[in-house]
Amino acid sequence: MDEAGKQGIHTVFHPRSVAVVGATRTQGTVPYDIFQNILASGYQGVVYPVSPGAVSICGVRAYKYVLDIPDPVDLAVLVFPSTVCQLALEQCGQKGVKACIVISAGFREVGAAGIEREKVLKGIAAKYGIRIIGPNCLGAINTDPRVRLNASFARKMPDEGSIAFLSQSGALCTAVLDYARGKHIGFSKFVSFGNKADISEVDLVHYLAQDEATKVILLYLEEITDGPGLLRAAQTVTRETGKPILAVKSGRTRAGAAAAASHTGSLAGADEVCDAIFRQAGIERCLTIEELFNKAIALAYQPRPTRPKVAIITNAGGPGVMTADACGDHRLELASFTEETTKVFKRSLPNTANIKNPVDVIGDARSDRYQAALAASLADPGVAGAMVILTPQSMTDIDGIAQTIVKTAAASPGKPVYASFMGETDVASGIDILQRAHVPHYILPENMAAAFAASYRFEQLLKTARAPLPPYADVNTAAARKVLDAAAGRKHLPDVEALQILAAYGLPVLPSGVAQSAEEAARVAGRVGYPVALKVYSSDIVHKFDVGGVILNVGDAAGARAGFEKITAAARKAVPEAQLRGVHVQKMAPAGQEVILGLKRDPAFGPVLMFGLGGTFVEIFHDVSFRAVPLDSHALSTMIREIRCFSLLDGARGHPACDLAKLEECLRRLAQLALDCPQIAELDMNPVIVGREGAGAVVADARILL
Amino acid sequence: MEKSEIETRVKKVISGVLKVKAGEIKPSSNFVFDLGADSKQSVELVAALEEEFEIEMDQDEALAIQNVGDAVEYIAKVVGK
Repeated sequence: MDEAGKQGIHTVFHPRSVAVVGATRTQGTVPYDIFQNILASGYQGVVYPVSPGAVSICGVRAYKYVLDIPDPVDLAVLVFPSTVCQLALEQCGQKGVKACIVISAGFREVGAAGIEREKVLKGIAAKYGIRIIGPNCLGAINTDPRVRLNASFARKMPDEGSIAFLSQSGALCTAVLDYARGKHIGFSKFVSFGNKADISEVDLVHYLAQDEATKVILLYLEEITDGPGLLRAAQTVTRETGKPILAVKSGRTRAGAAAAASHTGSLAGADEVCDAIFRQAGIERCLTIEELFNKAIALAYQPRPTRPKVAIITNAGGPGVMTADACGDHRLELASFTEETTKVFKRSLPNTANIKNPVDVIGDARSDRYQAALAASLADPGVAGAMVILTPQSMTDIDGIAQTIVKTAAASPGKPVYASFMGETDVASGIDILQRAHVPHYILPENMAAAFAASYRFEQLLKTARAPLPPYADVNTAAARKVLDAAAGRKHLPDVEALQILAAYGLPVLPSGVAQSAEEAARVAGRVGYPVALKVYSSDIVHKFDVGGVILNVGDAAGARAGFEKITAAARKAVPEAQLRGVHVQKMAPAGQEVILGLKRDPAFGPVLMFGLGGTFVEIFHDVSFRAVPLDSHALSTMIREIRCFSLLDGARGHPACDLAKLEECLRRLAQLALDCPQIAELDMNPVIVGREGAGAVVADARILL
Repeated sequence: MEKSEIETRVKKVISGVLKVKAGEIKPSSNFVFDLGADSKQSVELVAALEEEFEIEMDQDEALAIQNVGDAVEYIAKVVGK
């Protein structure tokens, strides 16, 4: 994005003057409410209503056209019906308006006529260099006291805060604002970007990276149009600025995956891929809005834990155990206290108290015991953060304990403190104290542990070393493209041609040849060396096993001849219309662990690699991992190690460890092929037989879909 | 009926419904963008024009008309049938 483009986005949030174009005097309508909201929010600039039918709105002189305004206008908020927005935008361009929020609906979301209208708007915006938020959106809010702009039809201006919220859904924004207000959660920026005709979530993430007021970026997405852009933006922003990005991506569906023709295609459902790539990008994916804010407040309000060591302080045994379990579920550990800490506990707590983690200060505890236990825990070098639990017993000083937690947490600025006041009515005032003071509060300990774990995960992410992976110089792109060009017009490349392409990219393939007769099959087998595998060779047969088109472990010439005849007959019978191009005679792979390596093109994220346990088990266990291309060193290494059965590859239960370095090399070469040859729609290498450490790997079978 | 007469009468109706001076109404005037018609007034305008010309207009077609000149053309066509 060029400097003018960035400046345009800056203007959305920091305009010196705003025109509400299409404002009306009719209360209870979007055009009226938007103008009224700007006035009521205490906007620090100048606001002009533009209304062809009104002399004034809310006591402010109205102009018939934006061109009639005597002073410069930085930002226009368009609230006209969609059918006339292009007329208003054209005038905004003539006026020199830098940015525009198009609230109006009736564009891309309504079909052909709307798509055309949106195209016209984009054309006008491009002509004048106007940046656009929307159309079909709620608007934008900046709580910065130097601006205080509520250019939206949300009911109220949110509090100032350090969380930015970007949403594709406008209606959700209003619900989120109401939810957040109830929990005293403030925002730095709040944007509903609607149809993202111009400014997208990717642009906004880049912008917020530079925004001093924003510490945490939240996204609500329904469709991802620029997956690679989002991936790059997230990686850059999190690592360069240390700002976490959390996202809810709705529309989690497997539809479409089932019809795919390759293993990779059928396993790489849109949601699984999105999940994996968000992780690769460092985006914390949340399934619900509640989870989004549970984690956001932990990251925005408290320091991040540097280790997974938690101290739990509770006035009730059961909830303490529940929290300990929840910590275990999220791979957090209960810290062991030093002798000094234990001495403090003994001195400050009754004999009946449990002074091991979880520390039970007993049901009659008042704020003094909580203070002593929490302060001592936070001072313990073995503790990275504390979780404080309260149940409302008759003697519990709820508000006093809440205030104590706030003060004690503030006195230990390097370690996070979260709280769970369990209940609803009795604990409400205590929760209010905690929330106002930005001590993250969770009704359920499970959510508290999940938030702590997310914060720790982000801390780890920032510390993770990543190196770019340079491409291999020994690949023969021309040879691969030659095979692909020769196959133009076909949908499927059988193993013979697929293996030629893989060989050109330095992937380890077995010696093989194509036989047109039984005699030739025996000759080729003799050349490549027994035992051999015989496979039917036809572009019209995708699943060779299913038609009896594969015979393995053929040990001699007689077997090769007989096998040729058998395979040919079986294939002719099963698929009479298939054009048979011979039998592929391939040296049998040595014994080893079967894995699958695959490639598919995701509509949102582009080329995506898959890795998993291979052979016939791949689709039964679904134990696979995904990464977007390009890979960095961390993405590559974790891709192999995150499958559930990784221990099988790593030398579990007497098995020798596999050649993981060779597998990593194969994935890197596949990633390079994916970038160099966009004609390849899907690719399976299944199985790849990987030998023990240092023994390499071989691609036993492969198929490519174009 | 002459088009000039239709135009004069259309402007008179628009002026009455939208409270705009007749002199400000031009054939190129967009009902929403230039004359400030909201959705309720647009419906009222269709009803007033039907009454003025004693015709029946297709609601969807009538509401799709963007400017005064097109309205005159449309009414001329309906009146001429």
